[in-house]
Amino acid sequence: MENTHKISFVNKYLFSTDHKTIGAQYTIMGVLMAAVGGFLAYIFRYNLAFPGQNIPLFGALGPQQYNSFVTIHGMIMVFWVGMPVLLAGFGNFLIPMMIGTDDMAFPTLNMMSFWIFFLSAVILLASFFVPGGAFGGGWTMYPPLSANGYMVRDPNFLSALLSGSSLLILAVALEFVAMLMGGINFLVTTFNKRTKGMTAFRVPLVVWYINIAAVIFMFSVGPLVAGAFMLLFDVVLGTGFYDPARGGDPILFQHLFWFFGHPEVYVLLLPSLGVLAEVIPVFSRKPLFAYKKLVYLALLSAVLSVVVWAHHQFIAGIDPRMATFFSIGTIIISIPFAGIFLSFMATLWGGSIRFKLPMLWALGFIALFLIGGLTGLFLGSNAFDIYAHDTYFVVTHFHYTLFPDIFFGFFAAFYFWFPKFSGRTLNNTLGHLHFWLTFVFFNCTWFVLFFNGLAGQHRRIHDYSAFSNFSGGIYQTFEKFSTIGAICLILTQFIFLINVIMSMSKKKNAVKNPWEATTLEWVADSPPPHGNFPVMPEVFRGPYDYSVPGEAKDFLPQNQQ
Amino acid sequence: MSNKEINLEISHVPQGRLGLWILIAGELMIFGGLIACYLLYRIRFPEWANDAAHTSTLIGAINTIVLLSSSFTVVKAHEAAQKRDYKNITKYMTITIFCGLLFLVFKSIEYITEIHEGHTLVSSEFFSFYFLMTGLHGLHVVAGMVTMLVVMLGARKGENLHRVELAGMYWHMVDLIWIFLFPLLYIAK
Amino acid sequence: MNILPKNVSTYGQEIDSLFWLITTFALIAFVISLFVLIYPLFKYRQRAGVKAEYFTGEKKTHFKWVAIALIALALSDFIIMYAEHDAWVTIEGLPAQQDFHVGVTGRQWNWIFTYPGPDGKLGTADDVVVDEQNSELHVPVNKNIIFDLRARDVVHSFFIVNTRLKQDALPGRVVTRWFNITVEGKYDISCSQICGVLHAKMRNYVVAESQEKFDAYIKALYDNNKPKI
Ligand SMILES: [Cu+2]
Ligand SMILES: [Cu+2]
Repeated sequence: MENTHKISFVNKYLFSTDHKTIGAQYTIMGVLMAAVGGFLAYIFRYNLAFPGQNIPLFGALGPQQYNSFVTIHGMIMVFWVGMPVLLAGFGNFLIPMMIGTDDMAFPTLNMMSFWIFFLSAVILLASFFVPGGAFGGGWTMYPPLSANGYMVRDPNFLSALLSGSSLLILAVALEFVAMLMGGINFLVTTFNKRTKGMTAFRVPLVVWYINIAAVIFMFSVGPLVAGAFMLLFDVVLGTGFYDPARGGDPILFQHLFWFFGHPEVYVLLLPSLGVLAEVIPVFSRKPLFAYKKLVYLALLSAVLSVVVWAHHQFIAGIDPRMATFFSIGTIIISIPFAGIFLSFMATLWGGSIRFKLPMLWALGFIALFLIGGLTGLFLGSNAFDIYAHDTYFVVTHFHYTLFPDIFFGFFAAFYFWFPKFSGRTLNNTLGHLHFWLTFVFFNCTWFVLFFNGLAGQHRRIHDYSAFSNFSGGIYQTFEKFSTIGAICLILTQFIFLINVIMSMSKKKNAVKNPWEATTLEWVADSPPPHGNFPVMPEVFRGPYDYSVPGEAKDFLPQNQQ
Repeated sequence: MSNKEINLEISHVPQGRLGLWILIAGELMIFGGLIACYLLYRIRFPEWANDAAHTSTLIGAINTIVLLSSSFTVVKAHEAAQKRDYKNITKYMTITIFCGLLFLVFKSIEYITEIHEGHTLVSSEFFSFYFLMTGLHGLHVVAGMVTMLVVMLGARKGENLHRVELAGMYWHMVDLIWIFLFPLLYIAK
Repeated sequence: MNILPKNVSTYGQEIDSLFWLITTFALIAFVISLFVLIYPLFKYRQRAGVKAEYFTGEKKTHFKWVAIALIALALSDFIIMYAEHDAWVTIEGLPAQQDFHVGVTGRQWNWIFTYPGPDGKLGTADDVVVDEQNSELHVPVNKNIIFDLRARDVVHSFFIVNTRLKQDALPGRVVTRWFNITVEGKYDISCSQICGVLHAKMRNYVVAESQEKFDAYIKALYDNNKPKI
């Protein structure tokens, strides 16, 4: 291996082309951004519970700041946490290891992808410091609010360019470019670099799902990139693509946004579901239930994902008959995902279940997502959506889907693969504490807010004093309860941080295959060296051969004849 | 060709070509989105035809011919690369780059006349689309030319010959997009 | 505490019963799924000497359970769709009987109400416009009120919690919707689509009152308006 000669620090850690280092860069960056997003959440949740009071560690919060914090919180959690951690992070760590190759197909492109992503994060954070502050018109960026430059209504080119909205568009555009570059890499690597014997249906499901997510992303993002160009031109150069006074149409942007926005949910969901598909069989000692069908179900949902977008616009003034069409589409697309979750649950039946940490996160994921999915029934119904749209019901619904997806999915993966990629083990007690507190406090934060939503409390409101039923009484109490839950939820994450720091300061003591799993990454050393495998392993069987009758051991690694 | 240059792997598609196909698919989705938006507006507002009347079909047609012939020369360059005929690679790629340059010159002449006549990015919705779409396409032409130049400088010395084909594929895409833009912006009046 | 706030409109009841219907389905699905998830955690936890069963789920006999559940889900989905269809058509369509027509326009940051002038027609020079923060939209009770919804600057969303009606207001478009308030009283109108800095302060009222009171209100409005014309 070329590891024998010394690589400088810059080449090893900053501009490394090694997929594991890039995966780590993406993950660390995602976690840092999650800290920013979480801090923003703390600020506006504190404000919601105790309106008008000085916020510890921050100070007073004005309405404009409130709006931009809510907006940027959403942006960060989706595009700078979910995407880098789930798609880029998992993809980089797992794909080459699991298909049995040394690195990505285009390592340099991979490195550039991360640095473009890094730049996009810098631009996003810089937008807090421009005059007028970061964009505060909601993460959906609907024009004309976003097209007007939001705060800066100055025709001056430079001030429009340096406004919160144009910086946000720029940052998102760069983030898309980074993820597109990553996606090209994932697809080509999976297509071309599989080791001998790794046929399509011997590829672990998580690799399938990351690739399907990459395809969905690439297919759906194009029109939004076009739409973002038009929006940026509207903001900076004064065109009127979305300005009705000049013949434009603001609804056009909504269509372009949600044509991407809904599939984006699956881009975030599929990699995490893939992680569950790896974790659950290992700790049930059973083959994944209906592996091949799960591939087909995800492919089906990928196709369907582009025909449901307008369910976000039921009350936006689109043709009511169109709404029926999209309502049916929404119902149909829920079927493959229900199938995926049911198959995960079926994997448990007849197993020999071990409640190790990754498994707990996986089970918690399913339990929470169940609530998120079932509340989706209410919103998929276009008539009830007339009432529930833009209320806390929607906010709570998507936090019950995205929080388990992003965080439970990430932690399941983290506790599962951390020994492999760092070579170190984590403290089990702290891990359990972290899981149970996160699970409880998440529910404290969110469950009560369903009732606020059903009471018709509308979202993105800095101060409910104008609405007597929400500025006092039970719904205000719920807000307080939720905020306390959120603060505890954030504090709980320090347990995780301490655990990681503690284990990183210890010696490398992880064994090659601590969970007795079958896929190829467990064949490599912990941590895997540059190049991953001394000799590329040959694959003889599918990824989920657990408890095969007649075998002495209850697992058969993929490279075992 | 040596095995190192064209890396035949499991899918039997060289990975550079596979990656580029995906990139092209992504680019087409971007332009597809723009064109779809433009079409939706055109159908809704027939009066845009009045603005469309001010684009120069003649220059547009000349530019179409220029780009089409450059597509031909780039195919020739690819053929030369397969024969390892360095001289012809250089020749045909230079012609291609020159065609790109010619395209840009014509395009600039068009832009200047239009702006002189008062048709700017902000003057009307049609011209907003016109400048956005042709401008974005123009940037792709420039990107294609730069790629072509870099590839040519290497191929001249016999390095990375497979890249000639890749640069050509990208150039074909730039061409293809223009084939869509030309009727939509120049002919439909 | 009621889960849903008081309903005061003719069609609100349909939304509320739809809510309870979906809740029933969701709760049944929730209980069943939770059982399917939790039961094996007890039944099939690791035991010494007991090996996991080996089945891949690719066989029809195994997958049929998932398939049955999916069909049940699809069926309940379509029952919900069927049940909601009438509510959707009622709310999004317009009633045959149209008693009173007003204009509502969103702007940063209040709702503007336009009443037809003495000629009884909307969109003529004698229209009366009320453009103030915290102002009230007066309507007669138990009447079908048709309103043309517009937006002056950015997207807003017209929301009266107690009628269950919400509709986005879009610049450059007119959306016509209706409501019929059956209980006299004063209810909040909010804007549920973020529309700028003071989005939180965008609050007006709808006042449903008897025909006599309403007529008196309109008359006073005309009288106040006269000198300005
Ligand atoms: Cu959606
Ligand atoms: Cu508003």
